[in-house]
Amino acid sequence: MTTITIQVNGKQLATEPDKTILEVCRANDIEILTMCHLKGVMDVGACRLCLVEIEGINKLLSACTTKVAANMVIRTDTERIKKYQRITTELFFAERNHVCSVCVANGKCELQQLGYKVGMDHIRYPFLYPKCELDSSHAWYVIDHNRCIMCTRCVRVCNEVEGAHNWDVMNRGTQVRVISDFNSPWGESVTCTSCGKCVHACPTGAIWPKAIVQGQLEKKPGIINELVEKRKMKL
Amino acid sequence: MNRQDLQLLTDQAKEKKNSCKHTICVCCGASCISSGSEEVLKKLEEEIKSRGLENEVAVIPTGCMGPCNQGPLVKYMPENTIYQKVDCDNIARVVQSQLIDKKPIEDLLLFADSREKPFLNAEEDPFFKKQLKVALLDCGDINPETIEDYFTRDGYKALSDVLFRMSPEDVIAEIKHSRIRGRGGAGYPTGMKWETVYKYVSDQKYVICNGDEGDPGAFMDRSVLEGNPHRVLEGMAIAGYAVGASKGYAYIRGEYPLAIKRFELAIKQARKNGLIGNNILGTNFSFDVDVRIGAGAFVCGEETALIASIEGKRGTPKPRPPFPAESGLWGHPTLINNVETFAGIVPILNKGGEWYSEIGTPKSAGTKVFALAGKINYSGLIEVPMGTTLREIVFDIGGGIQGGGTFKAAQTGGPSGGCIPAEHLDVKMDYEALVNLGSIMGSGGLIVMDQQSDMVDVARYFMEFCMDESCGKCVPCRVGTKMMHDLLHKICAGNGTRIDLDRLEELAVYVKETSLCGLGGSAPNPLLSTLRHFRQEYESRITTPGVKKELQPQS
Amino acid sequence: MNAGFTTLSTELPKTDPRVKLLNARIKKEHYRPDALIEILHTAQNAYGYLPLPVLAHIARSLNLPPSRVYSTVTFYHFFSLKSKGEHTCLVCTGTACYVKGAQKILDEIERQFNLQPGQVSADNQLGVAVARCIGACGLAPAVVIDDEVQGKTEPAAVIEKIHSKTGKP
Ligand SMILES: Cc1cc2nc3c(=O)[nH]c(=O)nc-3n(C[C@H](O)[C@H](O)[C@H](O)COP(=O)(O)O)c2cc1C
Ligand code: FES
Repeated sequence: MTTITIQVNGKQLATEPDKTILEVCRANDIEILTMCHLKGVMDVGACRLCLVEIEGINKLLSACTTKVAANMVIRTDTERIKKYQRITTELFFAERNHVCSVCVANGKCELQQLGYKVGMDHIRYPFLYPKCELDSSHAWYVIDHNRCIMCTRCVRVCNEVEGAHNWDVMNRGTQVRVISDFNSPWGESVTCTSCGKCVHACPTGAIWPKAIVQGQLEKKPGIINELVEKRKMKL
Repeated sequence: MNRQDLQLLTDQAKEKKNSCKHTICVCCGASCISSGSEEVLKKLEEEIKSRGLENEVAVIPTGCMGPCNQGPLVKYMPENTIYQKVDCDNIARVVQSQLIDKKPIEDLLLFADSREKPFLNAEEDPFFKKQLKVALLDCGDINPETIEDYFTRDGYKALSDVLFRMSPEDVIAEIKHSRIRGRGGAGYPTGMKWETVYKYVSDQKYVICNGDEGDPGAFMDRSVLEGNPHRVLEGMAIAGYAVGASKGYAYIRGEYPLAIKRFELAIKQARKNGLIGNNILGTNFSFDVDVRIGAGAFVCGEETALIASIEGKRGTPKPRPPFPAESGLWGHPTLINNVETFAGIVPILNKGGEWYSEIGTPKSAGTKVFALAGKINYSGLIEVPMGTTLREIVFDIGGGIQGGGTFKAAQTGGPSGGCIPAEHLDVKMDYEALVNLGSIMGSGGLIVMDQQSDMVDVARYFMEFCMDESCGKCVPCRVGTKMMHDLLHKICAGNGTRIDLDRLEELAVYVKETSLCGLGGSAPNPLLSTLRHFRQEYESRITTPGVKKELQPQS
Repeated sequence: MNAGFTTLSTELPKTDPRVKLLNARIKKEHYRPDALIEILHTAQNAYGYLPLPVLAHIARSLNLPPSRVYSTVTFYHFFSLKSKGEHTCLVCTGTACYVKGAQKILDEIERQFNLQPGQVSADNQLGVAVARCIGACGLAPAVVIDDEVQGKTEPAAVIEKIHSKTGKP
């Protein structure tokens, strides 16, 4: 296999082509913040947290969807990128109703951790306070749109890994919502297999199992990739 | 059909045309139709028949002639005399005086109500004199619903020449030589795009014609599709030959039923004559085209979203790279060009790339179609060489500001563009010059605003548009445009503060740089450009925190 | 939220000419899922809007997951899940019409009929909508009443035209 070298934040790295910038950075312990990326499913480049600067390209590109090329010079840690990550995080919080103190995912939430990482101490934008539903019609799980950040990890897991395609996204703009079937109650879905993968894929407290005491929620997003890898193995 | 048959058909069509001494063209562009030109056409045909002139005079419906707000328009050829606002009542008068008495009616001539002396030959009118028609050539002179009329203009000759005399490399070289750039907005060199698609090896490639034209205030692509659909089709077939594609799609806005109808008709006629389909003109090149109808989403003009829409999905854009040239429709290499770009291909091949490259400015060759609208005397469709100044467009061609008002700004590029203020009226319009002024060429909408226009409200209007049209996939565009809109709304209402203005500017740069696609990437442009040229309008609106506007000390 | 998909599982009446039309189109497209948007256009033309049972029928015919169909329908402005009214008044709010006073027309419509864009009157006689440029900028401001374009119009003329369509004062 051919090897190419790239430079990230001044450090030379050897890697194989055909990998994304994100994969190479993660393999080399270079931190890149992500939200919509979930190992095991297709990347969509929607959260824009993983943006990096690449020399010679005047646009910022998402690390999760951009492949490395020989002699690429990449920066992941400039002031500009940090500033933008912070604005993105604030917009996440301002968009829906994220009240950590009463959220099941409090302490286990990727969005909360993101807030800590970018050093968000307050939110400079007005909260939009949209009216969002909470659907508890499913026997085991709940979806609370107040906590949803539209990363669509659940949609992709359900479609690509489980093959059920219960979830999709309706409307556009700020009106987008994750839906089950015809925007009908989850509990009445004809496609859902109740596999629970979306629960683990969800980074926040938007999808969670019932009968969970606050603080006890344990999500294992890593399980998705584990499943995908296991399937590839020949037994 | 083979090459000789095409030649024969062309000769026949020309002969038939020449046998008529006069041709009366009735504009049946969408604008004129809504002012009643279809009835005028019917009445006119009856009138000619009742006078027994039908062998001497041909009456044909045509595409858009240009001065849309003077419609319905009727043009007499070969004199090139245009009558405006013709209706069923004065049609008999027009026929009598023009054809029998040979004395034109002065008060119905084009622009008779606003010019001291209207012109008998419309070509001499300043509205037309400064124009140069390339993409719009023949639009308004031929009947778009018959292929014979297209043959009278050497239709499909370029395709036949290309198939028999040129290799795909030759075609690409010629297009490159012409220096034509994409007319869809970004101005990417068309020859280079074709070459990229050509170089990818694949058993299936596609050609897509982007006729989504979602910018409010733009109707160039619509007029081309309505006025000369065969030209676009021929351009697509040539592109197919050059890049090695066998299938094309024309994606046309659902709001344009007439354009869809005429383009579908053109496909049918060309197919029947063997000019698209299998083994075109007896060669082993096959190329077929289908129409896809848009369903009302501005973002579907963006190429990756358009592709998703053709695939029957939500029109959400994808990150590029990979570009459609590498992996487009169903993962195959795909060439995607704008309607106007395709319309320019045939003239380039007929007259040579050299000819085209000599028109325009050093960096932007050729001509550009603009849709003039807003507070301007003669709104409508025009085509000028690149490098024509804004002043010439607004005052010479457009006849100045309506109601004697003063020019304040021209908005180009729609919701992705910006405003050009009066001090830059002498800017030579080309891609680079407009970008330098903080606007963009865009697809060619040009809206003129007078002193009454409120620039902050204009920025709010466009931000509302982008907010509504955001697909909602990426955070900066989905939430950022909403936040910016709310802030602009607040400032418009007189409740904004200095902090709001600072936030707004910070967000604008953030959304521009971080959005996934060009919609978010250009959504802040109207805001940034009005801030740049009309900052005082924002400043005068904001208040000091905690102090009511009317209580603030007057300076 | 809508009712569950199972409640929509009843077949559409086969004798309904609209169903025949729809099925013919589906067949013509060889039941290809990527023809979804074309088929939705046909359905919307036949029904005037897209009732849920029709969407369920399309989803079953094309073998598409219900959420995939619903997500596509709700993405595009052209498709409507609700009836748009017997008569429609579409006010263009594109840039040229905006500059020339489209808002005044909308205000007058609201004053006269108490309807905002997107609303349908209680008796389903009149629906009001806005379009983002219908491409008749040379005729700004433009309004489309039941597929008829009214160019260079003004509030009073629009109201009069609507009255003549709905047959009320
Ligand atoms: C939000 C958005 C809207 C667009 N709308 C159009 C459009 O209506 N028509 C068009 O031809 N190109 C449009 N484009 C540009 C296309 O993405 C693409 O660049 C173009 O069709 C390429 O053709 P060209 O090379 O001939 O310009 C749009 C781009 C963006 C980002
Ligand atoms: S992780 Fe790359 S855009 Fe979200």
